[in-house]
Amino acid sequence: MSDTQPIIQMSNLMMRYQTGKVALSGINMDIPQGSFVYLIGESGAGKSTLLKMLYGGLRPTSGQLQVQGTKVRDASESQIRELRQNTGIIFQGNRLLKPRTVFENVALPLRVQGWNAERLLPRVKKVLSFVGLEDRLWSYPETLSGGEQQRVAIARAMLSNPSLIIADEPTGNLDDDTARHVLDLLMSLNKLGTTIIMATHDLHLLTSHPGLVVQLHQGALVTGQKDDG
Amino acid sequence: MMANSTSKKYDEHKSSMRLPGGWQLPPFGVHQILALAIVAVALWSVAVIWLALQGGEQWVGSWQDQVKVHVYVDESHASSVQALTDRLAEMDGIEDVRVVDDAEAQAWMEKWLGGGGLDAASFSQHLPKSIEVTLQEPRSETVLDDIQDAALALDGETNEDEFRLVEAGDVLGTIHNLAWFATIILGLAMALIVSNTLRMILLARADEVHLMRLMGAKEWFVRLPFILEGVLLGVSAGFVAWVLMWPLIWFTSDWQASLGIELGGWVMFFPLLLGGAVVGGLGAIVATANIVSPETES
Repeated sequence: MSDTQPIIQMSNLMMRYQTGKVALSGINMDIPQGSFVYLIGESGAGKSTLLKMLYGGLRPTSGQLQVQGTKVRDASESQIRELRQNTGIIFQGNRLLKPRTVFENVALPLRVQGWNAERLLPRVKKVLSFVGLEDRLWSYPETLSGGEQQRVAIARAMLSNPSLIIADEPTGNLDDDTARHVLDLLMSLNKLGTTIIMATHDLHLLTSHPGLVVQLHQGALVTGQKDDG
Repeated sequence: MMANSTSKKYDEHKSSMRLPGGWQLPPFGVHQILALAIVAVALWSVAVIWLALQGGEQWVGSWQDQVKVHVYVDESHASSVQALTDRLAEMDGIEDVRVVDDAEAQAWMEKWLGGGGLDAASFSQHLPKSIEVTLQEPRSETVLDDIQDAALALDGETNEDEFRLVEAGDVLGTIHNLAWFATIILGLAMALIVSNTLRMILLARADEVHLMRLMGAKEWFVRLPFILEGVLLGVSAGFVAWVLMWPLIWFTSDWQASLGIELGGWVMFFPLLLGGAVVGGLGAIVATANIVSPETES
């Protein structure tokens, strides 16, 4: 793993909110390209803050964070936009747009890059076929089960073929079987070379789907530190 | 089989598909229709003000580049014509003075009689001598009084109706300024209505805007549909206002004919569409000036 070029590099990373609360402090960590990383820790440990920083949603207060070659702290708005275009995001609670069809939801990451419907259709069908939902192209999210909705969210995250996918508790509201199925999909993507960073509380998934575990506690790294080896 | 079915469904959905962002217009809902109705009525009010002004200007003849009045001298005092002409020509605020020749007076008389078989030549022999006075613009405040004084002093007579029309033209100038004031105030009110409507729509689509930003959309791509929607809303309201103007023109046609005016509805077409586009675009720019998403707040 150490031979691979890191896709994410953190050095003395710190995040303090305007309220004064320190969400992260002194994080040193490299994440190699192609890893499958579980980000674990209690609620309020800083998982969501760290994930938001990985796509430029939040900027570090101090220290360095480099994601896919972009220094997040000093990056310009256009560099952040470029970083986001190369990053797939699976949100907590999937955040699908209810008034829009599955096609329109999944198409969004490339739509914002200016792709039109004709060009998007084969690509969307391909990713939906990967998650087993090619027959739900014109359905609305509310007609889908929780597991299906999460698979649509995965399809959306993988549409632009990003090198990095960030998933914030993608199995949070799912039963065990559905959660395992969702994780299978993420593992398949990882085998295709995509780096996956996934925040989760479902520790039992770690046994069936092994990966690199990074544990946060009160904003500090417990396991996964650079010096830990 | 599955591919055929998907392709068929795609064709069905293609017409109703509205991908977010960019040049794609969002669907029109009840909020937009209400805003359209309000803006259309406001634009119609503005159109009525300008139509009334158009009618007033036709009535007083202030559409002419230069205002002209006439001083008449009876045949019995024909010797005063030259002296009066000279006196008028020397006055401040007068552009030109000329004596209307008999042939022109006869032609005017024929036109006035409308060729109804009456002998214009014999009538014109009884016309007084006319001196046509062209006033300078901007008009001197005392020039009309000066002309009247000169006419009285040298056996002439002024046309009081013409003088009243000139004064009415001055009042119209004030009304013209008021019309602009009302147009600007109503325009700002319309822009505010469009802006509030779009704010409601933005609020309803906050998730969509936020998601697009998180996926790396450029700001113009996020905002353009709302700007387009504002402009379209304004242009549509302008068109509705223009259509609603015609019944007013038709219902007042007898009244227009009696005053010798003809209101031009077509003249208002482009100004109403352009005015609608401007207030719609302005409202949209105000509404989208500060779209805050959670991750952009800090």
